[in-house]
Amino acid sequence: MPPETLTALQEIAATNQWSALAPEITLGVAALLLLALELALPKRLVAVAVPRVAFLGLAAALALVFKDWAAPLFGPELFGGLVRQTTDSQIMRVFFLVASALVAFIATVVLPKHKVPRVEFFHVLLVATGALMLLPQSNHFVQLFVALETVTVALYILVAYFRTSPFSLEAGLKYLVMGSLSSALLLFGIVLLYGVAGNPLLAGHTAQAMNFGELAAFVRLNPEHPLVVVGAALVLSGIAFKIGAVPFQIWVPDVYQGAPTPVTAFLAVSSKAAGFALLLVLVRGPFQALAHVTIPLLSTFAALSLLFGNLAALGQRNVKRLMGLSGVSHAGFLLVGVVAAIAREDAVSWAPAAVYFYLFTYLIGAMATFGVMAHVSVGDDADQDFRHYAGLARRSPLLGAVLACGVGSLAGIPPLAGFIGKLLIFVAAFQAHQWTLLGVAIVAVVISIYYYFGWVRAAFYDQGSESDRNVAPIHLGVAAGATLVALALAAVLLGLYQGPLGQWIATR
Amino acid sequence: MADFLFYLFAALTVGSALMVALNRNAVNAAMSLFLTFFGMAGMFVLLEAYFLAILQVLVYAGAVVVLFAFIVMLLDLDNQQRKPVGKLTYAAGGAAFALMVTGVLWLFCQEQLTSPALPAEASGSVLKTYGRQLFTTYLLPMQVAGFLLLIAMIGVIVISKKTTAAQESADAE
Repeated sequence: MPPETLTALQEIAATNQWSALAPEITLGVAALLLLALELALPKRLVAVAVPRVAFLGLAAALALVFKDWAAPLFGPELFGGLVRQTTDSQIMRVFFLVASALVAFIATVVLPKHKVPRVEFFHVLLVATGALMLLPQSNHFVQLFVALETVTVALYILVAYFRTSPFSLEAGLKYLVMGSLSSALLLFGIVLLYGVAGNPLLAGHTAQAMNFGELAAFVRLNPEHPLVVVGAALVLSGIAFKIGAVPFQIWVPDVYQGAPTPVTAFLAVSSKAAGFALLLVLVRGPFQALAHVTIPLLSTFAALSLLFGNLAALGQRNVKRLMGLSGVSHAGFLLVGVVAAIAREDAVSWAPAAVYFYLFTYLIGAMATFGVMAHVSVGDDADQDFRHYAGLARRSPLLGAVLACGVGSLAGIPPLAGFIGKLLIFVAAFQAHQWTLLGVAIVAVVISIYYYFGWVRAAFYDQGSESDRNVAPIHLGVAAGATLVALALAAVLLGLYQGPLGQWIATR
Repeated sequence: MADFLFYLFAALTVGSALMVALNRNAVNAAMSLFLTFFGMAGMFVLLEAYFLAILQVLVYAGAVVVLFAFIVMLLDLDNQQRKPVGKLTYAAGGAAFALMVTGVLWLFCQEQLTSPALPAEASGSVLKTYGRQLFTTYLLPMQVAGFLLLIAMIGVIVISKKTTAAQESADAE
């Protein structure tokens, strides 16, 4: 072996700590395994084996995350500065794995109702999960952008997955166009930051400006430079697209409505959480010295999202559009938490933890609701509205109860998890002296209860017309029922008792 | 000389980019796109990033534009009816453009943007350094990009594959 090759190999070995990414690698391998299984197994076995292998892959990845929860691999930086693992990134890895397992569960309910290929859905889902898990660990714009694009491309495919449905194709096209625009904004921002940080005439210039640490050092010395400000604003706008915050929410209702229900859940929960994980990494990392830009910008996004999301959801009867528009308002609540985290960083050091807690309560509430939606849907699931829920509590008391818990948690009704999530965000905003935002958020909660209650009322009090009453009873599998009950119980228990989680938040 | 070439390529890039947006004929737009990429490749040469210039011509001006032209001809879009552009769209477009120009002019008036010419140093200019970086420092993003291409390929097949009724029922089992 020529010595040059040897040094190159040594270089690779020294900077590439692959074992730190064992969970992501497991997911990649499981995704490839699914494709191989479809080739190797007979057709009948494929339908049974594929979801199970996907669940196994997710469970194995989860076990690996917990195994190395605080391993010595927690160096400051891995892969020569591309990856940085923190407690926050570990929490988000768990979040994405749980969310994807629930999306896969909803997919096992919805996909058999449609004539679509199955294996590819789980394959793309697993690859997207791996990329999502890489996002909060990225410490470098190249790594961040590649992982984010993998997630985005996976979502382009999944949104248009029901290709025979015109709604799904329309949603796919709209998401493709708007997603490309947001990627372009993000990339333009990154390039501006990289370019200005490489200017040798400025203090603290660096050739490694893609690295968050190096960029943070440069930004600290040049916080007022116009290109730094414009670049940071463009990067934040690109991320605001992903989380669906106003004024970048234009794609939300149509895409949420057209996408297959499991994909809508994936968009609502995982894609939004990825945006917030990135936002927290960025505003506390490279953009830390830019509080004079980030606070007004994100506060505006938050207030507009809270008002627009809730007011637009008021007249909405299509449940998927309702989830989309209320998702915009949830993005607003979460942005309030992010603003609180930067406004008084030392005083409210637990605000990021409150954002993570809110994300988990949103995960539980939204997944319970989407799980019920997957069972109620018949035929084309894009046109599901309140009518389909009339008399649901009588047709299936279990689904009615789960829906009440899920929707109640999303609305923030006191004994449920969503209430504690909102409360923590409000206390954080209060302690961070964000009075205006707090006022807007409280008004938003009051409005949101109205339309969420409309949904519950349809399920419990509307008797439905004569034709609706004759629909067949809903088939609910044992595993599906158990998962939904577990979600509803989690919504109740997490609202009554936060246990070690609450202590962890308080001590952050 | 370098200044002259810069203005030449800049004019070529911007002019042909305008033609891409304004041209009514899709094939002509694709050809203008080719010229845009060619102008950008010229800029890269002026910056001494020869490798990027070659990639720009080979991948974008070559493969991507040919693909565009191929699809445009395949779909035969020339006879499509166009929706007239509304007054509001014109107004919004004009306002956005005016805002953009004001913003850029304002940035230039800040004087922080003007700086003396500096020697450009493109790390991607030498093929060897580029390859070395790709397989050492950036090995992880490259692997992730590999998965990106894989799911893109699978996605194209899933969304565009023609399935017969027999296959559909077999898949749905």
